[in-house]
Amino acid sequence: MRVLVVEDEPVLRESLVQRLRAEGFVVDAAADGIEGEFAGREYPIDVAVVDLGLPGRPGLEVICAWREAGKSFPILILTARDRWQEKVEALQSGADDYLTKPFQFEELLARLQALLRRSGGWSQPVLQAGPIELDTRSQQVRALGQPVELTAFEYRLLEYLMLRAGQVVSKSELTDKLYEQDFDRDSNVIEVFVGRLRRKLDPDGRLHPIETLRGRGYRMARE
Amino acid sequence: MTAQAPSLVNRLVLGLAAASVLVTGVAALALDALYRDLALDARRDVLDAQVIALVATAELDESAGLAPASIAEPRLTTPGSGLYAEIRDQRGQVTWRSPSTVGAGLELRAAPAAGERLVERVTLPDGTRVLAFSLGVSWEAGLQRPATFVLSAAESLEPYFRQLARVRSWLLAGAMLLMTTLVVGLALGLRAGLRPLRRLEQEILEVETGRRDALGAAWPRELEGVAQNLNGLLAGEQARLARYRTTLGNLAHSLKTPIAALKSMLDAGHVESGAAASQLDRMQSIVEYQLRKAVLAGAGSTVASIPISAPLADLAAALAKVYHGKGVTCSRDVPADLAYPIDSGDLMELTGNLLDNAFKYCRSTVRLRARADERPEWRRNGLVLEVEDDGPGIASADRLRVLERGVRADESVPGQGIGLAAVGELAAAYGGAIEIGDSELGGAAVRVRLPGR
Repeated sequence: MRVLVVEDEPVLRESLVQRLRAEGFVVDAAADGIEGEFAGREYPIDVAVVDLGLPGRPGLEVICAWREAGKSFPILILTARDRWQEKVEALQSGADDYLTKPFQFEELLARLQALLRRSGGWSQPVLQAGPIELDTRSQQVRALGQPVELTAFEYRLLEYLMLRAGQVVSKSELTDKLYEQDFDRDSNVIEVFVGRLRRKLDPDGRLHPIETLRGRGYRMARE
Repeated sequence: MTAQAPSLVNRLVLGLAAASVLVTGVAALALDALYRDLALDARRDVLDAQVIALVATAELDESAGLAPASIAEPRLTTPGSGLYAEIRDQRGQVTWRSPSTVGAGLELRAAPAAGERLVERVTLPDGTRVLAFSLGVSWEAGLQRPATFVLSAAESLEPYFRQLARVRSWLLAGAMLLMTTLVVGLALGLRAGLRPLRRLEQEILEVETGRRDALGAAWPRELEGVAQNLNGLLAGEQARLARYRTTLGNLAHSLKTPIAALKSMLDAGHVESGAAASQLDRMQSIVEYQLRKAVLAGAGSTVASIPISAPLADLAAALAKVYHGKGVTCSRDVPADLAYPIDSGDLMELTGNLLDNAFKYCRSTVRLRARADERPEWRRNGLVLEVEDDGPGIASADRLRVLERGVRADESVPGQGIGLAAVGELAAAYGGAIEIGDSELGGAAVRVRLPGR
């Protein structure tokens, strides 16, 4: 999952970047409205965290600009001023949720995950694709009710595929969303990980949860 | 320093005095002219009658002069009576003069043609002004050829002038009296009429210097609105000030405890991160709660009525977005023309907190209703806002506590309940109240009543 953090306060921004990375997100960060607007428009991000009081360009304007450019990724706003009027304005301009500063990181994470689930069409915190079950809160995966042990990267890969269950996800999209920018795009590491994931989820080769579409990518079966 | 503008009373009195002088002056002149016209007309009629009487009794005498055979009017026979008559022939020779002209020195010059009437004014040698009326008469009886005679009657104008002088002095006195009465009456009326303004000034001064909290009652209709609005403004300011004081006091007081705790940890040389974090959380929730209270605009008579429906629709739409994943059905029943004088930020705050709670705790349904509260004693309607949900509700035992929670933020649980307590405070700032009850939907029904005025 690729998240964009637009926050001018350096301490808070750095702490968010660190902790989101630790949670397995690919993180882009911007320190002002202009840089942030550019990043949101140009990078293939899945979700954005935007502070409303930004130098350069106000957060509200940045959000409006993204929406006008046709960007539909979910947006979580951060605001220090806890006024409903401001929240309503931001939500009307295209934001999807708000969080009042100061906040707990766990709360931010939960909101981000909820937004990501929602944009993938899931309303429950537990994603289910056929026999595979993924609990986004506890990050636990079960196949046919049996717990499956996954590495952090495997989990992120599976989560991404499951959020997009039923859709074709290309290898380059997975590289974009699961790796930081400097990743070697020619590597076949995604194939290796998908192979490992298949073996862990379906050791007997009966379920076939992840379909390969030649030259197009992968598809997680929704049912 | 700028020069003071002339007083309103002086301006009005001066303007109206000038107008009344003009009006009474013109009226006096018109009355004077009318009197003279009528009086002179009456005298001319009298002289006309005298001349006609002369014509009726005139006869030719032996020297072919014309003279009245008899004189009926006694004043004509009394010298110095002021009424004179004479008859002149074509050449201007006097053929007859009334005995009253003896010693008067009357000299008439008007020479009207036959059938013509002429009026002239002459002054006698003793200064008496006289009005004379002459008629030309063509006489045929007893003559070979008709001859023109001039028959004249004249009367002293002195009695008329004496009367005119008397009329004028009465007119002048009347006009003066009228003017004085008008100006004095105006000045007194204005002084009395503007007294409430002076009272207003005085009372505002008293409010300013702290000798009085609000303006008194019993104002004239024209000033009642001003006084009410000023009182509303004052009350709003006072309430705001009181709120700021309380907020500051509570803030300072409630921050002391966590500060002391942190300090003692530092003094002990051992700061345990969990304990420090919990003190910080506590400070955060205190600041959050007190800030929320401090930003309320509160009621004031200066707040204009705003439409209620649109902001509530915006809020409901915004919350539906935030709670999108929960699949909440939110029904709204707000009359489109509903309006109430409230700061739009306060309305958002109030309804936002109520709706947020409802969306948070409901299972699937939220109902928002607003209506005008009409009461005979209010000129402007009150407002009733009601938010219901189908969640677990709030147990009767907890209702009071929920509203009181946060009053002392240092004793409260962060998050929970602060919203409702804030709504309660906000409603109170507008002189209203919050009620918690059971909804027919199964959960809580929170009703906020804001009074009309």
